[in-house]
Amino acid sequence: MELLLQTLINGILAAGIYALVASGLALAVGVVGIVNFAHGEFSMIGAFVSYLLFVSAGIDPLISLGLAALVLFSVGAITYYGLIRPVLAAPELNQMLLTFGISVALQNIALLVFGADTRVVSTSYQGSTIALGSISFGVPPFAAFVLSVALLGALYWFLGKTRLGFAVRAVAQNRLAPGLLGIETQQIYLLAFGLSAALAGVAGVMLSVMLYASPTVGFAYTLKAFAIIVMAGLGNLRGVVPAAIILALAEAVVSTYVPGGGGWVEAVFFLVIFVALTWRSWRVR
Amino acid sequence: MILAGVLLLVALVLPGLPLGQWRAFMLDAAQFAFLISGLALAWDLLARTGQLSLAHGAFFGLGAYAAALSAPALGTIPALLLGGATASLSSLLLGLATLRLQGMYFAIATLAFSEVMRTLVLKSQFTGGSIGLPVQPAFAGAYPLGGYYLAVALLIICTLVSLLLSRSRLHYAMAATRQGEAVARVLGVSVVRVKLVTFTISAFLAGLAGGVYAMKTLFLSPYDAFGLGRAVEALVIPIFGGLYTTTGPLLGGLIIVSLETWLRLRIGEGYLVVYGVILVLTILFLPKGLMSLFARQKGARHA
Amino acid sequence: MKKVLVVLLAVLGLAGLALAQTTVRVGVLLPISTVAGKAALNGVQLGVDQVNAGGKVKIELVVVDDGNAPAAAVPALTKLMTVDRVDIVIGGLASGVTFALSGPVKQYNPLFLCIGAASSVVEQAFSDYGRFFHYHPWDYHNVAAALGFFKALYDEGARRVAILYEDGPFGSAGIQTYRQQLQNQGYTVQAEPFKSGSGSFTAILTRFKSFRPDILYWIGYDVDALPIAAQTRQVGLEPKLIYGAPPAWPLGFEKNSLSNDVAGMTAWLPSVSNSESRRFVTLYRRKYGEVTDEYMAPMGYVIALSLGRAVEAANSTDKDRIAAELAKVQMDTPFGPLAFKPSDTGRTRFQGFNQSIWLQFQYLEGSRRPVFPANRAARPLRFPGNY
Repeated sequence: MELLLQTLINGILAAGIYALVASGLALAVGVVGIVNFAHGEFSMIGAFVSYLLFVSAGIDPLISLGLAALVLFSVGAITYYGLIRPVLAAPELNQMLLTFGISVALQNIALLVFGADTRVVSTSYQGSTIALGSISFGVPPFAAFVLSVALLGALYWFLGKTRLGFAVRAVAQNRLAPGLLGIETQQIYLLAFGLSAALAGVAGVMLSVMLYASPTVGFAYTLKAFAIIVMAGLGNLRGVVPAAIILALAEAVVSTYVPGGGGWVEAVFFLVIFVALTWRSWRVR
Repeated sequence: MILAGVLLLVALVLPGLPLGQWRAFMLDAAQFAFLISGLALAWDLLARTGQLSLAHGAFFGLGAYAAALSAPALGTIPALLLGGATASLSSLLLGLATLRLQGMYFAIATLAFSEVMRTLVLKSQFTGGSIGLPVQPAFAGAYPLGGYYLAVALLIICTLVSLLLSRSRLHYAMAATRQGEAVARVLGVSVVRVKLVTFTISAFLAGLAGGVYAMKTLFLSPYDAFGLGRAVEALVIPIFGGLYTTTGPLLGGLIIVSLETWLRLRIGEGYLVVYGVILVLTILFLPKGLMSLFARQKGARHA
Repeated sequence: MKKVLVVLLAVLGLAGLALAQTTVRVGVLLPISTVAGKAALNGVQLGVDQVNAGGKVKIELVVVDDGNAPAAAVPALTKLMTVDRVDIVIGGLASGVTFALSGPVKQYNPLFLCIGAASSVVEQAFSDYGRFFHYHPWDYHNVAAALGFFKALYDEGARRVAILYEDGPFGSAGIQTYRQQLQNQGYTVQAEPFKSGSGSFTAILTRFKSFRPDILYWIGYDVDALPIAAQTRQVGLEPKLIYGAPPAWPLGFEKNSLSNDVAGMTAWLPSVSNSESRRFVTLYRRKYGEVTDEYMAPMGYVIALSLGRAVEAANSTDKDRIAAELAKVQMDTPFGPLAFKPSDTGRTRFQGFNQSIWLQFQYLEGSRRPVFPANRAARPLRFPGNY
């Protein structure tokens, strides 16, 4: 019983980062309509910002979160303005190729500048544990979870309760109509893409604490983020969190209860996605 | 189309050309270029029905493993055909399951399929598992240029299939399906049949390419054979070269792989940055791919 | 007459000197964009600089990136052999790539100096090739070295081992052997696979809790080091020793308090006390401005130096004469003495190092210290470790 509880907690904590990365991606895909293959690289930049600030100035990653968000927002805005905007009207495939090219370029620039080494930061709380009875979990995953919940909460408040947020949702649902109503779609796109990048950057900072910083740190999470938003339904910003939780729980259950499950976790993740997608497609008439 | 013919002709006679000391290197690099271009042509076939697959890496891998495992018993050509058939069969199952998925949903479902396949191959013992599988060379190494001409044959087959399909009645059905399945159905197109038939043909070619690849690299590992990078390259090339055409993926594949190889030799470290930048620039300035350069001269005829 | 004689002698002397310098072109085929590959290249270049400075031999390097994949490595080797026309190749870092290279190597017949490739699959592939010099230990050597350490731990009272292995070729290669041999030594073993880089170990580590292992042994990559160290503590596993066997450790790990008392195995540390190693570290720092932890750097250095000696002794550019001299080379290296013997299984004729180069270290107070075997230990092993 306590094993089950521990497993569930592990799963929910892991869902925090998944949801954060996926939400950022959902903003880009749902609002701007762009399949951003470079999303993981935005996370990677965030991780390096955290690492560099730590190594050069001793700044704790918790504090670099804000800075990373700002940096990535700017990067996202610049990328949008210079590279994405020209292809907004182009076919989806072209957009995919563009962001793929950006992803390759960013990853390899990082490789050139920093080398392929894996780098770690050292914070005092990295190994700390919180114990509630017989259940225990680490401070960094817990902090990441709390932060993700807070950020996503703020995001949903923004989307649901502010005028700008309404505008963003309107654009997500219908690209043409808001323009007729006087909402500047271009500015909304810029905002959404910048936010998307900022969220990715924040996730990257968390990754640097829990895992490491390297040019390839973003890739694995991007893949899962794509799978999560597809499972939630493209454009469905709200569905991202439940989807992330379901998938993270499935992963946790398999790795705990299936002997040798550690090797099957990836397959289970994608199997759940596959089944969910195909089953849902057959149900809708 | 003439361009395609010229390219294939050059491929055929490449070993005979006076290449001097670069001959062996170019033949080697060319084989990989042909195989990826063949895979890109196969991917493009499926894209014509509007299905954007990320499973071609898996078809390639399944074909590679099936051919590698059966070659000692069956001989080279039957093993390659079996590889293609294995990929086809799996694509049929995948196609049936994903009939109602479109766009990104379909793409992610095929990606999921690919990852599950890779894990299965990784975990199985008879495929050599994570350590990998040594593979016999084509025709047991009896013909020095055997591997090369197998790659050329594959490229020719893929090009011919692509060309024939674009001239057949199926072409219109595929285009109609791509542009709107509901409308296509109303027009009397058997959408299910079109999608499944194209899927199996496309996967067969991908599986063939995988088999030839296995016999060239002489060693298979699940990470290499089922690599996501290859599935993405199979997608990048037709977009770069010109979608829904034959010459597009062919020319695009040869150019992209040659570019990559040349960059790696010339620039060494950091060559991939240039590669990424070139991709970005191509999309910004040549949105319809390379073929748009030719189409402007000739009018709208695809080849 | 005397003047003519003097001039003649001078000319002959100069010609003799020029002739006495043998120039060889050597191809270098390494995954330059990986950390290990870059380190190896740096080591090779450092060694070549030294050889060339000696004056008797001049080695010219032709460096090609093998792209860490067969599809790039095979054409790259072909280019080296047919376009650059080298007779000697230094390369073969990753096992899978080296295996794929065995075909073209046997076709073009270079003198192949293999810097890495521990998998015995590669040993099998090159078993009928006479110009194959393998410097790096084979995977069975690695296993033997680790088992030697485990035996010492058994004597200290350890009885239960939990193994965490990544499910790729690196982690899975020796797992059956490890299980078997550890059980033979008297250990109870539990082993679980994981996906390297995933960062999620809490589930597996939680499962290990009921097993209460004395030793947590993990076989993975540098990306797994920190998560495993952190999550072991978070889950409250409390083994007596965390022992990791990645090919490299992350940068900055030694400054992280989580690394304390973590043990690992390596072929070399910059702090190793033998004089060749100290010389290497000084030279490396002078040329590159830093100290490297990667053992592939001194490995590349050793290959270049040994090749230089062989060429000097052969006094010719003929690859077979050089090979014959290389087979006789005996020298001291940062790893210890080097001499070529047939491999333990007899499959290849020229095996350089064996399990004796491996040493076990522990992160103690922010730096790595050799702790085993006793004759190379700088500090005693802290067992049980404080996690």
